[in-house]
Amino acid sequence: MNKWTRRGFIGAGVLTGGALVVGVAVRPGNPVDKLRGDVASGPGEELVNAWVKIDHDNTVTAIVPHCEMGQGAHTALAQMLADELDADWAKVAVMQAPANGFYVVPDTAREFVAKWSVDAPNWIEPTYNGLFTQVARLADVMITGGSSSVRTTGQHTMRMAGAAARHMLVAAAARKWGVPEGEVVAENSLLSHKASGKSATYGEFAEAASHEHMPQTPPLKDVSQFKLMGKGLKRLDIPAKVDGSAKFGLDAAVPGEALRYAAVKAAPVPGAKVEAINAEAARTMPGVLQILNMGDFVAVVADGYWQAQQALNTIEASYSKTDGDLLDSAMLRARFAKALDAAGDAGGKSLARRGDAVGALKGAAKKVTAEYQVPFVAHAAMEPMNCTARVAGGKCEVWTSTQVPLMARSAIAKALGIGAEDVTVNQLYLGGAFGRRLESDYPVQAARIAKATGYPVKMIWSREEDTRQDFYRPADTSRFSAGLDAGGKVLGWNNVFTQLNDPPGSWDVAHYDIPAVSIRRAEADMHLRFGSLRSVDHSQQGFFIESFVDELAHAAGQDPFEFRRSLLAKSPRHKAVLEKVARMAGWGSPLPKGTARGIAIVKSFGTIVAEVAQVSMQDGRPSVDKVWCCADAGYVMNPDGFAAQMEGGIIYGLTTALYSGITLKNGAVEQANFDTYPMVRMDEAPDIEVAFINADTRELGGAGEPGLPPIAPAVCNAIFAATGLRIRELPVMSHFA
Amino acid sequence: MSPPPLRGLVLAATVALPLAGCAKKAPDPIEQIVVRKPGDPPVVVPLASTDPVAAGKRAFAASCSACHAASADAAKGVGPALYGVIGRKAASVPGFAYSAAMKGSGLTWSGPEIEALIANPQGIVPGTSMNAGAVSDANARHAIVQYLKTLGPKG
Ligand code: HEC
Repeated sequence: MNKWTRRGFIGAGVLTGGALVVGVAVRPGNPVDKLRGDVASGPGEELVNAWVKIDHDNTVTAIVPHCEMGQGAHTALAQMLADELDADWAKVAVMQAPANGFYVVPDTAREFVAKWSVDAPNWIEPTYNGLFTQVARLADVMITGGSSSVRTTGQHTMRMAGAAARHMLVAAAARKWGVPEGEVVAENSLLSHKASGKSATYGEFAEAASHEHMPQTPPLKDVSQFKLMGKGLKRLDIPAKVDGSAKFGLDAAVPGEALRYAAVKAAPVPGAKVEAINAEAARTMPGVLQILNMGDFVAVVADGYWQAQQALNTIEASYSKTDGDLLDSAMLRARFAKALDAAGDAGGKSLARRGDAVGALKGAAKKVTAEYQVPFVAHAAMEPMNCTARVAGGKCEVWTSTQVPLMARSAIAKALGIGAEDVTVNQLYLGGAFGRRLESDYPVQAARIAKATGYPVKMIWSREEDTRQDFYRPADTSRFSAGLDAGGKVLGWNNVFTQLNDPPGSWDVAHYDIPAVSIRRAEADMHLRFGSLRSVDHSQQGFFIESFVDELAHAAGQDPFEFRRSLLAKSPRHKAVLEKVARMAGWGSPLPKGTARGIAIVKSFGTIVAEVAQVSMQDGRPSVDKVWCCADAGYVMNPDGFAAQMEGGIIYGLTTALYSGITLKNGAVEQANFDTYPMVRMDEAPDIEVAFINADTRELGGAGEPGLPPIAPAVCNAIFAATGLRIRELPVMSHFA
Repeated sequence: MSPPPLRGLVLAATVALPLAGCAKKAPDPIEQIVVRKPGDPPVVVPLASTDPVAAGKRAFAASCSACHAASADAAKGVGPALYGVIGRKAASVPGFAYSAAMKGSGLTWSGPEIEALIANPQGIVPGTSMNAGAVSDANARHAIVQYLKTLGPKG
């Protein structure tokens, strides 16, 4: 295999009881250690990341540094490790790595800090990997996000750890049996030697294997040798979720201690302080233990959650004034418009510039302009934010569901004024996250409350609090102008918008063959906390770009599929995905009146996804009846899990497209519960058909997010085809009230 | 679901040590009211012995606030805001989707009528979409109305 698959130094060790542990370690004497100072590396190799454990009873445990939030990462990562190890899948278990600072994710750091290093020459690898492990540790990179688990940790760490462990087991067996290594077969967690008839389990050789030489760059399997990778293996976490034994953040218990409950309410306008509270009624209510004005939020602690919440509801609070107090959605929109007006045709910060877009538009036979708007969007994870905390003797322990356990640990340490080593973060399953649990505000709140009470507290946010105190997908306005020649060819593309978060390039249209492109950002402030929501900037950029491309197709008098197809002439992988989804959907075949199809294609997080939505108008409202989805993620490790992610992305994206709209009044969020912030439900869920193309086994794309961006434009393009109404502002249903 | 912006990582990587020295601690509580310790018997406040408005506010919090807001500027809830409800015509909060039954009730909300409503919502407005919120204790119903009377422009 090529250097892509070689990541890090491997270290090995034996646990008490003789289990073999293989991991990725930083070599002592690595120059980076000296550069970075105090990173511990004692005599011999320090085990930084241990990824696989083989017990005497022949159980293989994959230790994974990513959290499980329903996306199936635990299964896919174990699958990759087990395949390289030639383990018996029936005897494979998964364990969530503890958040102790050792299980950092160097490849995630590498992906996001310095993409260039991925192609560093071989000889420099050791240094780079050491460097990135340090970077990862210093920056608390134990992140589940960016649709990255399989394509980074899986490809570069789990597979390598599995292959190395396999090599060591074979070497140990060959030594004991006195036969050449090449004659020992490792299969299904068994070692055997045909000529002598000897055989043993992996478990029997676990300890001996740990004394064998550790290959630093073990050869990895070619696709033709995959036994588990590429198979739709059943999810390992599902049985516990079906029988109810799975533990989510909300299920947290503090061993040996009774729990009290806290309900909280933060100042409604971000940045405001709680100046005073009137808790007259609350202090006489049943179950109430404590009432706390924490400065930025109010908390009631009671024997039960509902008692705490009811008492909290009676508390009147006054808040300090902020600059955001008068802001409402219309004012914010006006602010965006002002910034865009000021940027005009050529102003603002240039993000992409190829050719002379302004000039190209001047000479065009036809000019098309459009403005699109999206509102703030809340994550609305079904499990509301919550955290259980205990603070005693200068130490803090929390039990919670988080995408960033190490960042949570640092944030708590900082808030309490103690060392990170005095904070323990226990991770539980996440009942949805979608990027909301990349923030550590709620673990910090719980830790502060538990410090004040001195006894363990489980803090649970109400749904209203969850909706009103989010880190929102930002609202934005995007303006486009484009020029077409007489034959309908796109000559120039000029685009400007105001909000930019992550990932870089979400706004680009480089896959389309357009000679002159100018893409700019005109910055405009806002006071709401913004964060990453499933697919991040692609969630709005997909809608903007693919809606406008559709408008261009109609302006050119061409079929929207054929129009995109010719624009993708120089992007064969995009083109293949688009063609396949059109075939799946029977694009072009006749439909009943009032029913139409819309198409869109977006590449995000390394995966190209095209979707066709079929929409029918029912009692004057659009109904999304069917969605076809085709994806090219390089290579799909678990087709079943991958399809589930595409479906999940589509349903989540449908909620965003059809319903989600967070609006502001007097600086505060107006929506509160699901009556004002509705989501797509079972009865509205379309039939979804998913297919994929495996076009590149070397560089993989993600799965968690890429299904989302094409759905909003596909639906809006279908609504246009069905009704002639062009939706330029989300949510869709606000046009059909 | 992408990690926090790039700058966060780069910053942490390059200036982690100096930053660690000037970390800011979150403030301790500004006000901490300890009502009782865990395990202590509950504070018993008999309804009758306290100010009826305070008692009503408590009862409102327990029985009504999940659906109704008490302030004028509150966002929409499951039920209409009850700010200024005394003396108000039934089904008159603009923008709230009342049931046909409530719209056609012809009621104007006086104290006794609200007491009757919360004794048995379907009894006084058959077909109302207020599906919960019945209060069985007459003292509590009376107290809630005393509290509702304090909500409104005249205060
Ligand atoms: C489960 C939610 C719920 C609870 C709990 C609830 N209500 Fe209601 N309430 C409603 C709904 C919904 C309506 C609108 C009814 C309709 O249109 O038929 C309503 C209507 C009313 C109205 C008429 C308002 C108007 O503008 O005409 C009053 C008065 C009222 N409720 C008082 C109360 C009081 C007092 C309580 C507590 C004892 C209470 N409600 C508990 C849901 C609730």
